Amino acid sequence: MQLLTFEHIRTARESLKRTRSRTYLTITGVAIGIASITTILALSGGVTNIISKQVSDAGNNIALVRPTTKQPSLIDLGNPNPTTSFTTSPLVERDLDSILALKNVDVASPIMTLSGNVTSSEGDPNSGTIVATTPEFQQTTPFTLKDGQFIDGITSEDTVVLGEQLSLDLFGTDQSVGKQLKIRGQSFTCIGVIKRQKNPINYNNIDLDHAAVISLDSGKLFNQGVAQIQQINVKAAKNASLPKLKQTISDTIAKNHGNERDTDVLIGDEIVEPTSRLFLIIAGVMSTIAGISLIVGGIGIMNIMLVSVSERTREIGLRKAVGATSASIVAQFMIEAFITSALGGVIGFAGGYAIAFVISMFLPYDPMLSWVAAVVAIGLSVSIGVLFGLYPALKASRKNPIESLRRYH
Amino acid sequence: MAKKMAKKIVIELKGLSKRFGFGDAEHAAIDTLDLTVEKGEFIAIMGPSGCGKTSLLNIMGLLDTPTEGDYLLDDQRVETLSSRRQAHVRAKKIGFVFQDFNLIERMNVIENVALPLTYSGVHHTKRMKLASKMLGNFHLAEREYYMPWQLSGGQTQRVAIARALVNKPALLLADEPTGNLDSKSSHIIMEELSDLHKRGNTIIMVTHNPDLTTYASRVITMLDGKIDTDSKPTKTEEKKNTKRPLSIKQRKVMQRKKKK
Repeated sequence: MQLLTFEHIRTARESLKRTRSRTYLTITGVAIGIASITTILALSGGVTNIISKQVSDAGNNIALVRPTTKQPSLIDLGNPNPTTSFTTSPLVERDLDSILALKNVDVASPIMTLSGNVTSSEGDPNSGTIVATTPEFQQTTPFTLKDGQFIDGITSEDTVVLGEQLSLDLFGTDQSVGKQLKIRGQSFTCIGVIKRQKNPINYNNIDLDHAAVISLDSGKLFNQGVAQIQQINVKAAKNASLPKLKQTISDTIAKNHGNERDTDVLIGDEIVEPTSRLFLIIAGVMSTIAGISLIVGGIGIMNIMLVSVSERTREIGLRKAVGATSASIVAQFMIEAFITSALGGVIGFAGGYAIAFVISMFLPYDPMLSWVAAVVAIGLSVSIGVLFGLYPALKASRKNPIESLRRYH
Repeated sequence: MAKKMAKKIVIELKGLSKRFGFGDAEHAAIDTLDLTVEKGEFIAIMGPSGCGKTSLLNIMGLLDTPTEGDYLLDDQRVETLSSRRQAHVRAKKIGFVFQDFNLIERMNVIENVALPLTYSGVHHTKRMKLASKMLGNFHLAEREYYMPWQLSGGQTQRVAIARALVNKPALLLADEPTGNLDSKSSHIIMEELSDLHKRGNTIIMVTHNPDLTTYASRVITMLDGKIDTDSKPTKTEEKKNTKRPLSIKQRKVMQRKKKK
């Protein structure tokens, strides 16, 4: 059996070599499908990677409190009115205070996002993200300041810290400390500039490059004196058990909200999940479309194999006449399909990763090369090859030796 | 008689029929045929085209199945064998020679000859050795690495015979082995077959050419799927019939004489 396998590999190699251009085209067909799937997998893997890196950068002791949202699903992608978009967050300042009072909590900072125009005296209105938070935000989110300082307890309420890109948009410079600007008509003084982050994807769901960060009290002024908090970032005390803390926070907030569990506390991988899940759904949809090209590649294999079987009818007849079993004829052609698809898979994977790398030069994150993606891509192409090679191989094995030998006289 | 009984029976056909088509279009290629082939016989099957010679040969070579009747090969009923076993029997016991040679064009001569050994589980190096030895027997040692299209018709058929014999089959089946060859090459091939016969091989050959039957130990004529005549030449007849066609050398000598 092993002996025959070697023989089949030799035969397959020879016959593939003999029809070289045909083989290359078939391999290309498979490779294109695999390349597109690899590209999507590598890029979506990169997104997941970037968030989990942020979590670990923050010290792996971050817990996020968010209002419970419906899980994004495939249906949402096709729904122009997602059910969650107008829901009001139930988190208020009392919840923040309750969390801060807990034993194992080091610091906690709220995030309250507001909409509105940010205008400089000299420029057009710019709709940056207005984020109202507390000075502790600096400890719960990894970022560095380029210039000036972050908001703190001492600074007056009408001060703002700008993201680098927003600063450039407003004043044409990143040196804007001391400059005056208007947020929703109120005058603010810039006291600091946040260094460019280049990660619009993060667990705060805020692009800090375009953000104007104000104090929570200023934020409340814009919202009829109520702090409507989208998210609370909690940093656990050293050596505190995160899962236990998660339970405590959850219980505390539920108590505040009349025992209604309308918030989620996310720790560790759960933080990554909501963002990556959405990306995974998008990646899934795109992969499905790319999968169609893979099926086309598979049909290419089948097509070429059928041609090959028909060309080699006499050879098949003769091999059977000198003692080849049907199984060994199937094996011979399956090995050919296997080689073609495996080569397509390897080339497609390498090519797809290269494409992902080129695309990532225009994106804020790097593609991620995971062995799972490699196994998926190459496994997929091999199974496509085996699946589509089976029919021609069976067709070859079922040939009647006499009729096969009689052909092409 | 006792000596004859002791001879081993290789093939036994009982009431064998092969029909093609359905209903009105049904046509019997072989019609309730009985035949016994003993070890060491050289049988020539003759007959007009369409009389079922090739069908019979295909059935004996396990390439086709009879519609009715029994086929016993080495005392074993063939129809009880699985297709896998049948392939095994083809690989080990039967050698096939075709009218149109059927060498695989993209393989060189030695690989073509070694092909049957692949399916009887012989290792690559040993395959090549055996094939080379067999080609040597047919005076083709220098042609081992030629491609089939580089050979003459006679050489090609000798390669095909070498292939049929490489795994030392008990039975050699030849379907008009000289059908595509000129008379000179035909006689070379027939000499080879006759040699094999002398060495004790069982040979069954289908032919159109009555001249070639002189090499055979038994001539069967078929007509409409039945055996018409089955002449096992007696010892005396055999001696009479030893007037074989002239060898190439003798012919050349004769031609020269004629010219003079």
